[in-house]
Amino acid sequence: MRTLLRNHIGRAVLSLVLVMIVGVLFNAEGTFFRWDTHRDMLRQVSVYGILAAASTIVIVTGGIDLSVGSLLGLSAVLFSLFSIHWGWGPVQSIAATLLIGVVCGMISGGVIGRFKIQPFIATLAMMVFARGVAKLVSGGQKISSAVQTADGSYSYVSVPEIFDSIGTRIWNDNIAVVTLLMIAVLFAAWIFLSQTVAGRELYAIGGNEEAAKYSGVSIPKNILLAYSISGLFCAVAGIAQAAQEMQGDPEAGASYELSAIAMVVIGGTSLRGGIGGIHLTILGILIIGYLEKILSINAVGEETRLMLTGIIILAAVVFQKKGH
Amino acid sequence: MNYRLLSIILMTIIIVASVFPQAPAYTIGMSQCNLGEPWRVQMNADIKKAAEAHPEIRMVFKDAQNDNLRQSAHIDEFVRSGVNLIIVSPKEAAPMTKPISDAYRKGIPVIVLDRRVVGNDYTCFIGADNKKIGKAAGKWIAKLLGGKGKIVELKGLMTSTPGQDRNSGFREGIKGSSCEILFDADMKWLEPNARKEMESALSRFTQIDLVYAHNDPGAHGAYLAAKAAGREHTIKFVGIDGLPQEGQMYVKQGILSASFEYPTGGREAIETALQILNGKKVSREITLPSKVFTKENIDKGGEALPE
Repeated sequence: MRTLLRNHIGRAVLSLVLVMIVGVLFNAEGTFFRWDTHRDMLRQVSVYGILAAASTIVIVTGGIDLSVGSLLGLSAVLFSLFSIHWGWGPVQSIAATLLIGVVCGMISGGVIGRFKIQPFIATLAMMVFARGVAKLVSGGQKISSAVQTADGSYSYVSVPEIFDSIGTRIWNDNIAVVTLLMIAVLFAAWIFLSQTVAGRELYAIGGNEEAAKYSGVSIPKNILLAYSISGLFCAVAGIAQAAQEMQGDPEAGASYELSAIAMVVIGGTSLRGGIGGIHLTILGILIIGYLEKILSINAVGEETRLMLTGIIILAAVVFQKKGH
Repeated sequence: MNYRLLSIILMTIIIVASVFPQAPAYTIGMSQCNLGEPWRVQMNADIKKAAEAHPEIRMVFKDAQNDNLRQSAHIDEFVRSGVNLIIVSPKEAAPMTKPISDAYRKGIPVIVLDRRVVGNDYTCFIGADNKKIGKAAGKWIAKLLGGKGKIVELKGLMTSTPGQDRNSGFREGIKGSSCEILFDADMKWLEPNARKEMESALSRFTQIDLVYAHNDPGAHGAYLAAKAAGREHTIKFVGIDGLPQEGQMYVKQGILSASFEYPTGGREAIETALQILNGKKVSREITLPSKVFTKENIDKGGEALPE
């Protein structure tokens, strides 16, 4: 088991090194060697990384959460609505948004654990539903500092300070606050999955649900917990997204679930459940993040980017598969 | 059926009838290809606002959610429910031509908004010209930069006609000046992508004079990237669309130097619809005039672009 795990890490690290070599070769007149480039890459992957942490927790149980992108959008809208339009303080706005994220996750987890609905279907329903709620509460428009009055004209309010505090960089401009948020979420997820009893039980469920059940693991309770944590992380990602955009976009996060799942799988966590973890997801986040950054600094055309990304995802996964 | 149920139904009919004392004379069906873009939400809002001024019109809105087949089903539903006129903003020309043509041949007037269909089976087309707007933006930018400068172009989806036209029009507009496109990338109309691409441009090039983005959210994303790098004062930003809550607001806040309006045509669609319904003749093609919003003219409601 231990050697197998080491193998997984080894393979993911090797994939990352290969991507980095591409960066060194195509460094766009030395752009790749500057710290800004790496700092910006880390900012750019932050919300995806938070969603990937959420997905990892669900995927080790053998499930999948398709609603992460929609929950991000809903949270971004609600956080902006509470704090910009309703004038709530930062603490209330954040707390309410996180709470709603957890509740959405609990609904998915409850349905999956209690009624034995397939995670794919249950979270697909949540994905569509949450997007609908986001569009409803925002009226289909971005929630920004432009407030529509009754007669259809717009008045302008200022965006609360909390947006800037999360959207900015600290430590001498060297790291984005959202990157630190991602690191904190990844750390919390790692502690939960690898150091707590509940975390180990999620692996047990993903490895063999029947066996876990007979050894006394409560399936519904643990599944509920996994999806609730996923919902919580999505809300964190939504707040981070809104803070960076200075607005809540009801379309935010569309198709982000695919990137999050890709990061988890490229790291080497198995979609069948039971195998993998946050340490692998971190490598997956860096692989995708660097890949996108290298294509971007070289101003590679969209068509080529899509094809290259597809090929590299496939190659990385095939490469991972060899470890089994 | 028992009497209680019958009486409830009768009561409901009486109540509904008394709430609407006068049935509107005309029903207009509006088929929108998707409501995921703020610009299209604005189009519906403009139509709704214009229609509310005319109590004789009842509007029915349908959203095709970016699906050709769903949109053609919506057109069929309008035909079957006997609407007096159809306004349609098609998702794509080829798949939407037949359902629109069928409705038109059954005698229902059809106003096509923004995107075209193939052939002649419609009453009137209303739309703006992206290429013209792109060209006007190019000329305006060349003048702003004094004829030379380094430009980053953040393109919309280059597989869409608006993206292609805003790109080719712009390149035509700056032709003859010494403006140079330093870096261009496809941001697929999305603000987070624009920010990401701009970060790359910023770390690669030390001198950037202006960012031309194919829509205002793109220009705003680029601004946020430049601001994070502390370079927002040395770079100018120009966008397209000019919605009140986006482009116009950014111009007012001094974020964008200019936003070029891409009019929705919502108000014009209702005006034209009324003319058609009242038996007046309308021209087959209405090209909407565009405006440019700058800090100087924003409070006066923008300035019309020269033809």
